[in-house]
Amino acid sequence: MIRVLGLGNVLMGDDGFGPFAVRVLEATYETPDGVEFVDVGTPGLDLTPYLLGMEAVIFVDTVKSAGHAGELRIYDRSDILRHPPQTRTGGHDPALKEALLTVDAVGNGPKDVTLVGVIPAWVATGVTLSPPVETAIGPAIAAIGQTLAALGVTLKRRKHPRVPDIWWAA
Amino acid sequence: MSRITIDPVTRIEGHLRIDAEIDGGVVRKAWSSGQMFRGIERILQGRDPREAWLFTQRFCGVCTTVHAIASVRAVENALQLEVPLNAQYIRNIIVAAHAMHDHIVHFYHLSALDWVDVVSALKADPAKTSALAESLSTWKGNSRMHLAGVRDKLQGFVDAGQLGIFQNGYWGHPAMKLPPEVNLLAVSHYLEALEYQRKVNQVVAILGGKTPNIQNLAVGGVANAINLDNQATLNMEKLYQVKDILDEMQDFMRQVYFVDVCAIGAMYADWLGYGKGVTNYLSVPDLPLDTRGTQFDFPGGVIMNADLNNVQEIKTFNEPFFRENVTESIARAWYDGDWSKHPFEESTDPKYTQFEDNGKYSWVKAPRFKGVPMQVGPLAQVLTGYALGHKPTVFWANKTLETAGSIAKTTLTPAVLHSTIGRHAARMIRTQVITDLALKHWNLLVNNIAKGDTDIFNEPVFPKGEQRGFGFHEAPRGTLSHWIVIRDGKIANYQAVVPSTWNAGPRDAEDQPGPYEASLVGNPVADAERPLELIRTVHSFDPCLACAVHTVDVEGNEIARVKAL
Repeated sequence: MIRVLGLGNVLMGDDGFGPFAVRVLEATYETPDGVEFVDVGTPGLDLTPYLLGMEAVIFVDTVKSAGHAGELRIYDRSDILRHPPQTRTGGHDPALKEALLTVDAVGNGPKDVTLVGVIPAWVATGVTLSPPVETAIGPAIAAIGQTLAALGVTLKRRKHPRVPDIWWAA
Repeated sequence: MSRITIDPVTRIEGHLRIDAEIDGGVVRKAWSSGQMFRGIERILQGRDPREAWLFTQRFCGVCTTVHAIASVRAVENALQLEVPLNAQYIRNIIVAAHAMHDHIVHFYHLSALDWVDVVSALKADPAKTSALAESLSTWKGNSRMHLAGVRDKLQGFVDAGQLGIFQNGYWGHPAMKLPPEVNLLAVSHYLEALEYQRKVNQVVAILGGKTPNIQNLAVGGVANAINLDNQATLNMEKLYQVKDILDEMQDFMRQVYFVDVCAIGAMYADWLGYGKGVTNYLSVPDLPLDTRGTQFDFPGGVIMNADLNNVQEIKTFNEPFFRENVTESIARAWYDGDWSKHPFEESTDPKYTQFEDNGKYSWVKAPRFKGVPMQVGPLAQVLTGYALGHKPTVFWANKTLETAGSIAKTTLTPAVLHSTIGRHAARMIRTQVITDLALKHWNLLVNNIAKGDTDIFNEPVFPKGEQRGFGFHEAPRGTLSHWIVIRDGKIANYQAVVPSTWNAGPRDAEDQPGPYEASLVGNPVADAERPLELIRTVHSFDPCLACAVHTVDVEGNEIARVKAL
């Protein structure tokens, strides 16, 4: 089983990129057998149930990186885990590394991990994406498609694409 | 005099910052600061009140369900709309399952490692560990073989230099006191708990349609069509899936969570003397048993100054005692002005200045009840329940105190619960009661359907003019309330007063510290560079201020997050 997980807060501008991209993906492409597309929001360590028992996981999220808004950054498991997680005051801080390491401790974590990240222009109260980040949805879906292809899964366009369910921006 | 700042902000915008002044190895004064402006409520203005819950569910990615529930209750309160029994029961089972999930995650995955030394577990003798465990519980996972396997797994991590999730703890810290066998047992349960928190989450998914953002709510009820023989609706098969999971969870809660908290609490009995802080407690009733919200399975109330002999009960969804006594102060928060206002009257106009010890220093407003700070959360839930004579709460509180007391070879009274360890104990006590009540509400639902009642929804109607409503929910982290002003069918104002605001809020115009700030005073600090003790007390509240954004910093280097001056 493979999961494509959109991370981010849809009420905080470009932070909603992950959920946004996943909803465009599921409206435009058939969901392949053995694959799930999920808008998981900002679950903190509650990400772990979505990782347990997975063969591969593809995250879609905003990332902090030098560069221009809308540029993609693709990371793999070793990139994500290169720097150790830090002591957290709140138990629920964004916890991508912690969630991966926690499922690893049980020995039931995903072997293949890819993070398709976009550099945000603005992260503040609001329900729309900035133009450069919205433009990045197509390339992000292409990157997801390539990652899936490497895992032996082909994305097929829907004959009748749906309107993406971006209810928060309506 | 020295000062410690624990500031995770350096990594990502947002989050909780704690400052503490230390003198003679003891905290003398503390500040709790929310480092991110949220103001998400402003997005709701002008929208349809029936859709508010979809948005509030996105306030926080961990507390999704609770904001959805509080929101529909606020609109229903504004309209005085009744909710069919089936809908109440379905909501209640979701609420209970969510709380069970949350509390397991908090104890095992977010805070146990503040008390459990993983590296010390390597020295444990699995046979002795198993004998100890079997003297306390009949859990199937406590065999010598299983525990030896866990120890070998840990040894494998260490040999490979890959401590993984365990690399970051304060191992070998002088405040770590458990014997190796207890450490091994706790690590084993840490790993098992991961499966159980996933399992109980499935209850939310079966009834809610999806997690983490449920889809089955509606103002006026739920959207779960009931037809016991139809695959597409809530049917017998799904109901029995829920029941099977709840039965399994009950076993875990009794045989693992209860025992671990009693044992670890007893071995850290000195921590029953730290972390008291604010002893005004607030909880609201929950798990409604009727359509109007006048009878509940959990009571709620107010206790002032730890006086358990005087508790004022909050009785209904319309309770004026609650509605009229909540205010928020911005005297010490980064908003324009220095007012204290009722949520219906509030505005949210950010005005950032710098962190000033004696001025403004937080994005969190300071909620007050009758003008004083209140502690909310499981401890408030258990103490108000205890004071009101709520039988299941009294039973599990007494059983916990007896069991921990017998391990510690001392007599423990409810007074010890006003403490850092007491908050962990209370969370476990509450969980035992919730676990039983989840099964009770499953039975209520099934029996009600068996009577032929399949009602799930009452249509909301919005009259012209203005309506005001408040909806509360006793969430895992404590009292949550949403306040809504509706004008001509649209949202004119919306405010959420959340549990972590009550607990993590700053001082007010009268300089009264909030619960986190007060609870840190008097905590020992053995090593200012590794302030494990402060982390313990802050974690005991289960802080959740952080989930509003999720930008990850993969490339960032390790940044010191603890600064001792």
